[in-house]
Amino acid sequence: MTNAKNQKWVYLAAVLLVGAGVGYLLFSGLSQNSVYFLNVSEALAMPAEKLAQARLFGSVAGENIVPDPASLGVSFTAQDKDDPAKTIRVHYRGAVPDTFKAGVEVIVEGTFNPQTREFEASTLLTKCPSKYEKNEKGQMRPPGFNG
Amino acid sequence: MHAICFTALLLSMLTAVGLAALAGIKALKDDFGTVPLLEKGQLALTVVVVVVSVVLVQALAVRDFSYAYVRDYTDTFLPLFYAVTAFWAGQNGSFLFWYLCVALMGWCMIYTPGYSHLDNRTKVYFWILFFLVEIFFLFALTGPSNPFTKLDPVPADGSGLNPLLQNPGMIFHPPLLFLGYAGYTIPCCLALASRLSGNGREWLDLCRNWNIVAWVFLTSGIILGAWWSYMELGWGGYWAWDPVENASLIPWLAGTAVVHTSIVGRTRKTLLRTNVFMACLTLWLCFFATFVVRSGLIDSLHAFGGSRMGVPLLVFMVAGFVLTLYVCLVPRKDDASHLDEFISRPGMLFLASWLLLCLGGIVLLGVIWPVLSSLWSANPVGLDAGFYNRVCLPLFAFLALIMGLCPWFGQKSGINDKLGLGIVLATGIVSAAAVYSLGYTQPLALLAAASGLMIVVSVVATFIRTKGLRSFRPAWGAYGVHLGVALMVVGVAFSGPYKVEGEALLTKGQSMNVGGYVVTFQDLRHDHDNPAMDMHEALLTVTRDGRDVGQLTPQKRLYRNFEQSSFAEVSVIPSLGEEVYATLLGFNETGAVSLKVSINPLVNWIWIGGTLSCLIAFLCWRKIEPR
Repeated sequence: MTNAKNQKWVYLAAVLLVGAGVGYLLFSGLSQNSVYFLNVSEALAMPAEKLAQARLFGSVAGENIVPDPASLGVSFTAQDKDDPAKTIRVHYRGAVPDTFKAGVEVIVEGTFNPQTREFEASTLLTKCPSKYEKNEKGQMRPPGFNG
Repeated sequence: MHAICFTALLLSMLTAVGLAALAGIKALKDDFGTVPLLEKGQLALTVVVVVVSVVLVQALAVRDFSYAYVRDYTDTFLPLFYAVTAFWAGQNGSFLFWYLCVALMGWCMIYTPGYSHLDNRTKVYFWILFFLVEIFFLFALTGPSNPFTKLDPVPADGSGLNPLLQNPGMIFHPPLLFLGYAGYTIPCCLALASRLSGNGREWLDLCRNWNIVAWVFLTSGIILGAWWSYMELGWGGYWAWDPVENASLIPWLAGTAVVHTSIVGRTRKTLLRTNVFMACLTLWLCFFATFVVRSGLIDSLHAFGGSRMGVPLLVFMVAGFVLTLYVCLVPRKDDASHLDEFISRPGMLFLASWLLLCLGGIVLLGVIWPVLSSLWSANPVGLDAGFYNRVCLPLFAFLALIMGLCPWFGQKSGINDKLGLGIVLATGIVSAAAVYSLGYTQPLALLAAASGLMIVVSVVATFIRTKGLRSFRPAWGAYGVHLGVALMVVGVAFSGPYKVEGEALLTKGQSMNVGGYVVTFQDLRHDHDNPAMDMHEALLTVTRDGRDVGQLTPQKRLYRNFEQSSFAEVSVIPSLGEEVYATLLGFNETGAVSLKVSINPLVNWIWIGGTLSCLIAFLCWRKIEPR
């Protein structure tokens, strides 16, 4: 009987230890890896200094897509999904995904530059639809970028 | 034909509702004579769903575009193989496929020897619960997710299948997941039914094989998905911690925990309530996974969102969970449980299950964090991949450590074989030192790599040192799975933190250096003879220290019907050591190419370990004698 009682304490201690470890990991993860998830319009409404790190959701405007062959990157204008009049200029350095083109929904991660009010992106992801809509005429591909 | 199929599904639903209600009413009067009727009902439902599935597959095969589903996911250029597999490419078809799997498994259940062990009361409860699950699917298929919608006038051609899905890895990834999800239906219903009928713990034995089958399907589905992501998406990784990937991982973690708690439950006659709860939790998490993918609630890279299945899935999942809680919380006289000593195999299995559940909880928290955070934040706050790496990887490494040590603990208490444990601990220290001296100094990777090697030695040593183990087939299965997991742990420990990658724009003859490998761009070829696609292929040669390593031919494909975007076909030089991986990102008029090249150490051990785990798990299968 005492043995069983002792075991209860052992289990309790183990649970507390594991719980403390998990709690610590969770705390450090939540405090260091949190990023704002924002639509373009929401990002525009936020004070820029709060946007040290953010994930921006928007769609690629048809005009002014400028590829940068030197850095493999691209600069484009991200539109709000619901209100296309609200836009943020995005500069991205790195490999541009296959599916990047005017009109697609993109997710960019990076920082908002308070001076220029432009977004410096370190990652650029396009949404991966399970279903493709039929070709729409009038959509353009980034000039000079056959990729 | 559209209307006939739809009506057949509608009648199926009414039949299931009627049978469940009839059985319920009779059960209230203590009459459990409805079993033969319920079994016949299940047979009828299975026949109907098989027939309507054949109709849909046939329509896909001949590209009958009068079906909206066929129009949406195929076109006349699609090879027959991919056209048929479009069955599960879209939401409506995938629900039909999932329901087909559930119905077939229910039908199999009737003929399994384990089923004959059940008393009539348990059988009746089982079928009522099973019909409730089927009613949910039939409701979806005849309402928000109807695969038999008719188009009038009939379009000349379809929209085509997403080229990313035109890959063998992606073809079998979804059906394996759905087979896994479907497989967990039976343990859940049987666990609840057994508890409702007061039929003790026999279900644990009867569900063992079902749990293994479901686990194998789910595991192989997830691994195949990761492989597809690595070989097809061209970003150089295999796991991005995207909500959709995480969604399938959550039920897997719960399902893996169930395998372990049920061992404790069966061998030590304890944890009865825990096992019922966990078996059910796994199924509800499968529905949660689908909810995450289909509701559009969580912003993911995969835009399945905005479908009308979100609310029904949520309601069904929450109702199921509440029922489970109620059934588990009402105490029964056989609930008495005892705890073995912590330092024992059951103790370690308990700890491992606990960690697996914690991991599931953490991943779930990460997935819904953007939604949760909107409770206190004006703008949703999400968590990036760094969160999961920081929080989950140490716990996975700790789990691997437990796996290496557990076989040396006694069944009831203490350490069974001190020499064996000593060998394993020595292996851990020596391998950690060796890995460290090779320059791999990242602490977590070091712990994981050492733990992986400890598991390998532990498994081999257990078979050498334990009498009678070699002649016990299920032990080969269980330890074989752990061996596969060990290989995966080692693969992840190296390919994660020690991947080297580089991007460059090269003209003909130029080279780039990535992690000591010199990649030279030789030529760009253009192939436009294939009617289904237009293809550019870069020819790269790879050398290291002046020695020839091999050639890479990454491609850029432009599929017909998808001209607005091109798709990269990755090229690798396969290796059990460092794998060279290249993606052709783009090219310009002057013939210069932009490339992404990465060196992935030991990455193939993940696929080898995963395949071993999934195949050898079937040795765990135990025959149940019919009664």
